[in-house]
This record gives sequence, structure tokens and C-alpha cells, in this order.
Amino acid sequence: MARDRVPRPPTRGFTLANGLRVLLAPDRRSPTVSVWVWYRVGSRNEHPGITGASHWVEHMLFEGSPRYAKGEIDRAVVRVGGELNAFTDVDFTAYYTTVPREHLRVPLDIESDRMTRALITDGEVARERTVIFSEREGNENWPEFRVEEELYQLAFREHPYRWDPLGRRDDIAGMSAEQLREYYRRFYGTRNALLVVAGGFEPEAVETEIRRRFGTLPEGGDDVTVRTVEPAPRGERRAELSGPGTTPYLQVGFRAPALADRETPATIVLDAILGGETRLFSTGAGWGRSGEHPSSRLYRGLVDPGLAVRATSEWRPRSYPGLFTVQAQAAAGVSLDRLERAIHRLLTRLAHEGPTPEEMEETRTKVRRATALAYEGASRTGFRLGYFSVFKSPRLEDEIFASILRVRGREVKARAQELFQPDRRVVVRYRPTEEANGG
Amino acid sequence: MAEPSDPLRFRYLPPVDGLTVVRQPPPAGAGSFSATYVAPAGWGFDPPGAEGTARLVNQLVAIAAGPYDRVALARRLDRAGATLNHQSAPESSEVTVWGPADAWEMLLELLGVVVQRPRFDPDDLRRTRRQLVERQLREATHPAHRAERELLRGIFPPAHPYRGTGLGTPGSLRHLSRERLVRFHREHYTSEGGLLVVTARAPAEAIRRAAQRSFRSFEQTRGPALRLPRVPGNRGGLRKVDLPGLSQVELRLGGPSIARTDPAYPAAFLANELLGGRPLLCRLFQKVRERGGLAYHASSDLEAMRYGGYWLAQAGTGADRWRRVVPMLEAELRRIREVSPSKREVDLVRESAIGEIPLSLESTAEAHELAVDAAYHRLPEDHWRAWPAALRAVRPGEVRDAARQALGSAGMVTVVVGPLRGA
Repeated sequence: MARDRVPRPPTRGFTLANGLRVLLAPDRRSPTVSVWVWYRVGSRNEHPGITGASHWVEHMLFEGSPRYAKGEIDRAVVRVGGELNAFTDVDFTAYYTTVPREHLRVPLDIESDRMTRALITDGEVARERTVIFSEREGNENWPEFRVEEELYQLAFREHPYRWDPLGRRDDIAGMSAEQLREYYRRFYGTRNALLVVAGGFEPEAVETEIRRRFGTLPEGGDDVTVRTVEPAPRGERRAELSGPGTTPYLQVGFRAPALADRETPATIVLDAILGGETRLFSTGAGWGRSGEHPSSRLYRGLVDPGLAVRATSEWRPRSYPGLFTVQAQAAAGVSLDRLERAIHRLLTRLAHEGPTPEEMEETRTKVRRATALAYEGASRTGFRLGYFSVFKSPRLEDEIFASILRVRGREVKARAQELFQPDRRVVVRYRPTEEANGG
Repeated sequence: MAEPSDPLRFRYLPPVDGLTVVRQPPPAGAGSFSATYVAPAGWGFDPPGAEGTARLVNQLVAIAAGPYDRVALARRLDRAGATLNHQSAPESSEVTVWGPADAWEMLLELLGVVVQRPRFDPDDLRRTRRQLVERQLREATHPAHRAERELLRGIFPPAHPYRGTGLGTPGSLRHLSRERLVRFHREHYTSEGGLLVVTARAPAEAIRRAAQRSFRSFEQTRGPALRLPRVPGNRGGLRKVDLPGLSQVELRLGGPSIARTDPAYPAAFLANELLGGRPLLCRLFQKVRERGGLAYHASSDLEAMRYGGYWLAQAGTGADRWRRVVPMLEAELRRIREVSPSKREVDLVRESAIGEIPLSLESTAEAHELAVDAAYHRLPEDHWRAWPAALRAVRPGEVRDAARQALGSAGMVTVVVGPLRGA
């Protein structure tokens, strides 16, 4: 009988008195241990004036505390062969450190310290400002980034999903160190944090260690709920951008459900049918999409006939309703109008006819197969457990997985009809300027 | 006799029709399988006037083969929960299959079909050519890609295999007929000169039997060897490319370097780690980002290949800052070549490099990369076990000497690409 649960390693979960949630996933065979701290704080908790604050605070948490002088966090981890990094999303910020298993103490010490004691000095903030600009500038060199930033800005007029986690240029230029400290003090705290430890360790000993290190931290962390509700769109919204690039490019966005919404499983199936796979359940050794999907509808409808060189869809898991997007890079000589019309025809057809039984079965198989090896290695385990838990709990993965296996073709069709309405879409098109094509 | 289970010790099995076959045990507890076929089919072998051949062939090989057209192959992989990845480099091209360990025999057989019996369907050829043309445009218009292209053109003379990026030109791609691709495939996807690395729990004998079953249909056994013209020592200089309308300027400094099997490689590896290779600890990151706050990324790479190599230092910075960053990179290069690093600094970087080995054993895919890398360079079976001792034997003075030899002995090229007159 086909399984309806994701094969996950056993976990032990508990919550400290100060509100910190902890998940342990021991695997005695693992040569490494991976420590993840997830904060339910992201760009959704910012407002105009301080957009990009979550991302900037993420940078500053590597820049020192009373216990770790500047650079010592990096040195402590890298000198034992470990790796560490962090990333900021709209809904959360995550910090991870993976080290050889005998060095577990190192990341636990760092995380328990910087959860409440990061310094964020004026001098370091001033120096980091240009680094943040540089990161943003690197992204701006890609037309895809510029289009996506514009797309979300058009799609959301009220909700903080309107801006990118990197923040707006003006805000990066104007934000003060005190504003960043205030943001950190307000949101970084035990109540908004989730600690995940995966890999080679003894769970009893590590639980004791965690209680000792994190249990004494003061309870903190303001409510991170976003109460702004984005009004339903009335009419299509469009924008045209131009700049250096290769061939015309476009993204079409439609308002899509949040991760825990009941419409999500059918939306995920739509994503898999159109783009060939879906972010939450993709096959491969890494996280995210694994390449081209010649059997997908967008590939067959746009790339095969020579209209595009790349085409995919994407639904991103979000705490609040976000966007379902279709993205395509035109083949040389193909106009944006022609490409857009072809996308519209494909989506309309899917909404009118629904998926074929073969597509439904293929999607179920893909999703089943993708989950079979999703937890190989301590780092991936820490990531995946934390990802679902920061939204809700590890069981959320099972719920979505089981729902995808149960969803019917007619539900997917109904979802497509609801989703792909031309008068609710957002379209951003990018034309490469001829003079910028280098030579 | 029990099979070895240490992923850091791979084993060369008796060749199959001249094909080198390697078995590597997977990490403990891993449920996946990986196998890679490496062909002497990099873009350094592109015939003159037919640049882009190797990349096009490599991409087409992984699309449709034997009884599978592109959709059937994609569905076959999806049903197995497997992926097929391909990549090209100057010297070689490779195809990797990854999937569940319990399907290893079927996946190995599929890899055999793919690399020996590609279809080169006309539709696939047209589509893939279109995709490469778009990548050519990307290479011309995106500062990071363009900077790399300009750097290689600056370092290596015409006709040198490392000079190009394998994408060709619209003209060269247009002239690549199916027949030419089939011929390139026949001459370069061979058993002799090829390499098959299998990371699986299955015993060596079972793997060799499976390889015998699945990799005996190469049309030609003998593979070609690459010939490298001498790199003149005076090709240095500054190349600037203004791409208005963009935000970030990409900087590259680089020059020719040593081969992977050069005796100086361990010391050169440490020199590069010290300069810009070791994340967070390296001098470029510390000076340009941590102390200078001038760039988001600043690092260096040592590309030591089978026949030779090159090195590069790189950073991405604002249009108003690149003039300050270039001298910083140059100063750090001078320092690593002229001043012996302290033992403390070398120890820090060395122990970091040694300590990270367990992180490469988190999954089959990561461990597999180690085996492919070592076997391609024909390194000993215990190379990765012996690697810590090789690094610990390097003295600080040797790091400086290796930097002189491997990080810009002559002809350093500087490339600046982006909105040079402002964003």
C-alpha cells in the first residue's frame, strides 16, 4: 500500500519555559551535526522606512556580541571545518551551522548568545551598509530580480509582501543603527524562535545542554502576526521594464493561497503540472528545483515550439496569501506579446479542461518519490524540519503530502479556474535594451 | 570478505573495455545512489570554427537516448525519483545520475543508454541551439559571465583549450549539423579515456558486472588527449568593458596556473585558501568585505585541471567603489606571493580545510563529488584519507613559494566589467 506520510527521521520536541521551541533529530550514524535557528521574523514585519531591516539584522548577527568579538563567530565555526550562513525570507529568518559532530558545542554557544545579545554597533552598521548595497546591486544585475521585485510591488498595495527582503534602496541608505537595534530587540526573542538540531548526537545529553544554555534566556519576542489584509485585486495590473539583458522576459502572477490554506494541495499540483515540479517536494540532491522538465505543460507549450528558451511556474510557500507565477524567457526573435498570448492560452486550456488522469498520476508519483530521500544528511534534515515547523510543525508536511495524494483532477481544474483569471493577474515584462547588449 | 565501507577510500576496479570503473561506498545511512560517466569531451576539443560542439553534445546526450525521447526519458526519471545532470568543462564533459539506492542497477543501465546511444533528434537540436544562443547573450550582457569570458581570453592565447567558455558563437552553432555532433560524440564519448564512478553499497563485483552489461556499446574505444599550447608569459593587462544600465561592477584578476597533479598542489591549495578560497577566514573576504565594507563577495579560485590550470581573484562592487577594490586585490596578491604567512594563519586555514571533510559525507551526492574529482585526476584510492597528512606537511614558506608559482607567476590579467561610469 502506498504510504501517506513522509519518511522522516524520528524527532523529539519540547518547549522551554521562555517559549523557545526545540526539535531534536538524532542520527547516531551521522558524522556531522547541523544546528538551525529559525525566527518567525521576516520582511513581512517591516514597514516603509525600515524595509530590509530583517536582512540587515541577519548580517549584524555575525558581527559581534560581548562574548564574540567581530569575526570570532566565523572563526569559531570555520576553524573546526564547519560552515555557517543565514538567509532572510519574507516570513522568517534562518541561521544554520553544520560542524563535525564532536564540535556541537560551538554552534549551541553562538546561537544562545546572539539570540539576545548581538551588539549591532553604529560603526558596524555603517560599514555593513555598503555590503548590503553591494548584495542588492548584485541582484539588480539580473533582469529576473528586477521583474520579480516589480511584480510583487504591483500585486501588493497594502501587505508587506510588497517589498523584497533585501529592502528598498532609500531605506538601506537611511536606516539607522538604532532602528536596527530596536527591530532586533523587538522581534528576536525566545517566543519567536525555533531551534532544530539534527545529526550525530546523544539526544539526552544535548537536551540537557540546550536547557542549560537557552533556558536562562529571558522570555521575549513581540507578536509577529501581520494583520494587514491585502484587498482583492480589481482588474489587471501591468508594468514594462527595460534594461540590459538577453531576450524579452516576463512574469505573470496570480494571487495564491497561503501554505496552510485548504486550497494549497491543488495549487501545488497545478505548479507541478505546469512547471514540472514543485518547490516543497522536488526530486534531487539539493533543495529547490532540479532543472528542465520536458514533460511539463509550459515546456511543451512554450519551449518545444520555439517560443521560449525557459519556462516554468512557481508557487512559494507563504504564511499569508502570496503569488503563483509563470515565468518565461523568450527565444530570440519572439515578441513579448506572442509569448504572453501563448501563456494565456495554456493557462486557459488547463482551467477549461483540467489536468489529464496521466498528469495527476505522474504528479503523485513525483511527489511520493521526492519525499523518499528528502531527509538525507544532517543539514537537509535540519532545514526541512525547521522549514515546516516555522510555519506550523513537522506534521504540516504530512498533511500537505497526504492532501496532494488525495486531491482529484476536478479540484485541480476548479483551482485553475479560480486562480488564472485574467482580470486578477499581474504582468511584468522586460525588454532588453539594444545598446546594452555588449558586443 | 566484507566490502569496504569508508566513502573516503574509493577503489579502481578492473577496466571494462578500457573504461576506468571506480566504486565508492556511500556514507553510512544514505539512501541514495550516484553514478557519473566522465568523457574526454570538454570544449577544449571543439574543432576550430565549430565552437559550442562539446556543450551542445553534452546537453543533448542528457535529453534523449535509445528508446527514450525527451518526454519519455523525463518520465522514466520521474517515475524512479531520479535526476540526470550534465556539465561540461574545458577538458571533459560528464553526465550524473542520482536516485534511490534500491534502483541502482536500473539507473546505471539508464546512464549507459544515455551516454552511448543519444538520439540527437532534430527538434532537440533546434531547441538546445536556441538555448545556447540565449546563454551566449547572457555571457555578453551579464557582468559576472562577461568578466569570466574576458579573463580567460586575456590569459590564454587563441586556440588554447582553456581560452573559451564553450558556448561558441551564433555563427559556430548555426553550422553544427547533426552529423558533426554524432561524429564528435563517437570520437569523444569513449570507453578508453572515459571514467565511470559509482557510489553504491553494492559489492565491487556486482558493480563491475553491471558496468560490463551497460557500458559496452561505445562505438569507439580509444579517446583523444588534449594538447595545450604554451601560454606566453606576457599576456597581462587591464580589460575594461562598460555595460551601462546595470548596478554592480564585477572584477576579476587572474592568470595561468598549475595542474592538479603538480607536486606543489597541496601548498598552492593552501595559498589559495588563505587568499580567497576559505569562506569567511580568507584575506580577501576579511579585507574587502569585513574591514573595508566594499563588496558583498570577494574570493579566489584555483582551477587546477588535469593538463594545466588558472587562478582568479574576484569581487563584485558598486560603480563608485571598484577603483578602490582593484588595488586591494592586487595588494593581497602581492602579499601572498612575497611574504611568508604566519604558521598560525596557515594552521587556521589548514585545520579548517581538514575539519570540513566530514561535511562532504552528509549525503551520497556530496561524497560522490569527492570520488569523481580524485578519480578524474587519477589520484590514489586513499587520496582523501591521505589529504590531511599532505596538507599538514606543508610549511608556511612553501605556501608563499607555491603562491608565486600558482597564483600569478606571470601575465596577470585584470578585468573590470559593469556600469563603469556609474549605475
